[in-house]
Amino acid sequence: MKGFQPLFLGIFGIFGFSWLGMTVVPNLQIGSLNPQSDEEGTDIYPQPLSGMAARGAQVYAANGCFYCHSQQVRPDYGGSDLERKWGDRRSAPRDYIFEPVVFLGTMRMGPDLANVGHRPVLQEAGAATPAPSASPGAAAGASPAPAASPATGTSPAPAVAAATPATASPAPAAVAAASPGASPVASPPAANPPAGNASAAPPTMVAEPKELTDDGRPLPYTAAWHHRHLYNPRSVSEDSNMPAYRFLYEKRRIGGVAAPDAINFVGDTGNAPETGWEIVPSYDARCLVAYLMSRNQSHPLKEAKAAATTAAAPSPAKEVKK
Amino acid sequence: MSVSAELIQEAPLGDVEVTTSDVDRVERALIDASTRLPVLVFYTSAIVWLLLSTLFGILTSFQIHSPDFLTDVPFLTWGRIRPVHLDALIYGWASMAGMGSAIWLMARLCRTTLRHPLLLISGAVFWNLGVLMGIVGILAGYNTGYEWLEFPGYSAVTLFVAYLLIMTWALIMFRYRRRGHVYITQWYLLGAFLWFPWLYASAQVMMFVFPVEGVMRGAVNWWFANNLLFLWFGSIGLGTAYYMIPKVIGRPVHSYYLATIGFWTFAVFSSWTGMQRLIDGPFPAWMITASIAAMILTIIPVATVGLNHHMTMRDHFPLMRYSPTLRFTVFGAISYTAFSIVGVIISLRSMAQATQFTEAWMGYNYMGLYAFFTMVIFGSMYYIVPRLVGREWRYASLIKLHFWGSTYGIGLMVLLLLVGGFVQGLDLNDATMPFNDTVQTILPYLRGRTLSWILLTVSHGIFAFHFGLMLLGFGRTASVPTFLNPLEGRSGGGH
Repeated sequence: MKGFQPLFLGIFGIFGFSWLGMTVVPNLQIGSLNPQSDEEGTDIYPQPLSGMAARGAQVYAANGCFYCHSQQVRPDYGGSDLERKWGDRRSAPRDYIFEPVVFLGTMRMGPDLANVGHRPVLQEAGAATPAPSASPGAAAGASPAPAASPATGTSPAPAVAAATPATASPAPAAVAAASPGASPVASPPAANPPAGNASAAPPTMVAEPKELTDDGRPLPYTAAWHHRHLYNPRSVSEDSNMPAYRFLYEKRRIGGVAAPDAINFVGDTGNAPETGWEIVPSYDARCLVAYLMSRNQSHPLKEAKAAATTAAAPSPAKEVKK
Repeated sequence: MSVSAELIQEAPLGDVEVTTSDVDRVERALIDASTRLPVLVFYTSAIVWLLLSTLFGILTSFQIHSPDFLTDVPFLTWGRIRPVHLDALIYGWASMAGMGSAIWLMARLCRTTLRHPLLLISGAVFWNLGVLMGIVGILAGYNTGYEWLEFPGYSAVTLFVAYLLIMTWALIMFRYRRRGHVYITQWYLLGAFLWFPWLYASAQVMMFVFPVEGVMRGAVNWWFANNLLFLWFGSIGLGTAYYMIPKVIGRPVHSYYLATIGFWTFAVFSSWTGMQRLIDGPFPAWMITASIAAMILTIIPVATVGLNHHMTMRDHFPLMRYSPTLRFTVFGAISYTAFSIVGVIISLRSMAQATQFTEAWMGYNYMGLYAFFTMVIFGSMYYIVPRLVGREWRYASLIKLHFWGSTYGIGLMVLLLLVGGFVQGLDLNDATMPFNDTVQTILPYLRGRTLSWILLTVSHGIFAFHFGLMLLGFGRTASVPTFLNPLEGRSGGGH
């Protein structure tokens, strides 16, 4: 056996070298970062996710969203992420310290989502419309629900919302459900970090007053828009190849008052349920949207201002360790 | 290292048969007989997983350009079948088939009959159980959220237990090997058997048991995935090729010195790769640069191994016309070179700007997992299975169909994904192009990929059928192996 000591030692040594170099040493460098805050210890970023958003991350993982959507913004020299308005600065290690699951992603069959919870603000601020969204108007004209199920809309069977009748029925109920007064209720789980502080709230604060377009359809990246998009991606983005997640929604008869978070089908008669029925998100769907609305790396970071570095200098901030 | 090199050189012919004395032949037959049950258990399980993976592969490929297909069945939604396809390929097919070949090679090269088959059989049972639980877990919505590590914890633990049983067996075998015969293949196999548990355990512990913080999980994730590709599949595949090529053509490996250099440089450089998949991501730049540098340096082992195989094969390439083993193995060995070169190219920063986040990386994964590893393992199965069941392959025509189906299938797929990925990347970098248009440009390539999956499905079906015939004893009883084409007055060479 003696002659093989070098072989064994070599095999272990080489692997140990890689293990130390690629996992242990980097972990010493960026494995215990603290949130950043200002001198008074306020304006803390990042903050842990809300319970619903954290559960939403599990839904995101379970359905493999991360195989097509990355969550990292590269610097200006590394691609056109910034030009595509996927963020206003590059991502840094500190952005991820509270993430329950880190979905960096390796594929962009769908757009990057690192800042999808922040985009309503970008829009509100008059920034260029984010490229990825086909303008909601595109699908508005009662697009014939591409390849969906043009089932004869007769069976009122309360089955799963598999075959949504394609017969035109503008469904007044759905309109009611989508009235401006009602829809903000859908968004509270969105971006409210538990340790609420003034500056962490811009997405909701700005998004709240304006959730709908003038003709009653949800604006892109609002909670109502996400639900409609998840329920049928091609109703808001005509040539999307994202799968629909109708199994995260329930079709039910409207009892008395329409549910406040029922999907807003205004301008999308092809998918709307018959009169007297509504499509409501399951708890998982609401968690998923809460998670999406929590995707926001817009807060400035010291280390990510300069385009070139991801320095991991320990923040001088006070310890707010998770 | 030098000591080992000398030791190897003492036995320059290793196990390559230059004598065909009856004693040797009887000894080999005894060894083969002792490996029959465990190796066939591994192979059979692997082929079942291959068929499952193929089924999910074609579904995955189809759904991405026809997203409404089966969209209302939660457990068949695209985001669930895609990991099932890849994990069944990685842990079900490739790992089990690779271990099957490795077990047989270990017994042959240690020149001792297989001891403790129960360790292996229980290992195979637990491994199958682990993969099954993992796949059911993913379908039921318990994906962990990290690529290549999707199996939920209970599955990972089962896999690890299974693995420990198999590794214990390998070490026992190595302990009882007959002295004086240590071949380069054993180096690779020993490396693979010892690297895998450390790799898998440290990834599981650092990701899930005592999770590291934030992006470090992404780093560990890709460190694991790339090392699995190189140190696990790469080692087994290269080790197998180092055995099969000289064996079939009947001449020793060209240079042991090159083989030694190739092994150590392979281990040192490829173990540092992984972070090149995250170029310009949220990491300290040195990590990514280190991986890119390591990736470039893997050219050294690739060149040495490629040169060595080429020199061994020199003047013997025509034998690929006859020997199925040689044909598959040489295809795999050449693919390894191509795989590594493509890996280097798409890891360069300038190229990565276009290939990052595109299908090009999937093309690269398939090159490693299929064009290289799977083809080498197919080759070894064509060699090993007849020796286990005591029959020769029934139909040369089926072997040919299998070869061409796999070759055209994987060739088309890799080509489409690499070219399509590059186009997709250029479009993504053109910020004036609406995002949806970048998806539309790649869809034709992805429709083509479905075509390649049809070819692969047919080819795998044929192979599984042929293997089933062998298993049920319908192989040919003949003293000569099944050649792909009738020998035209050639003698020697052989199977």
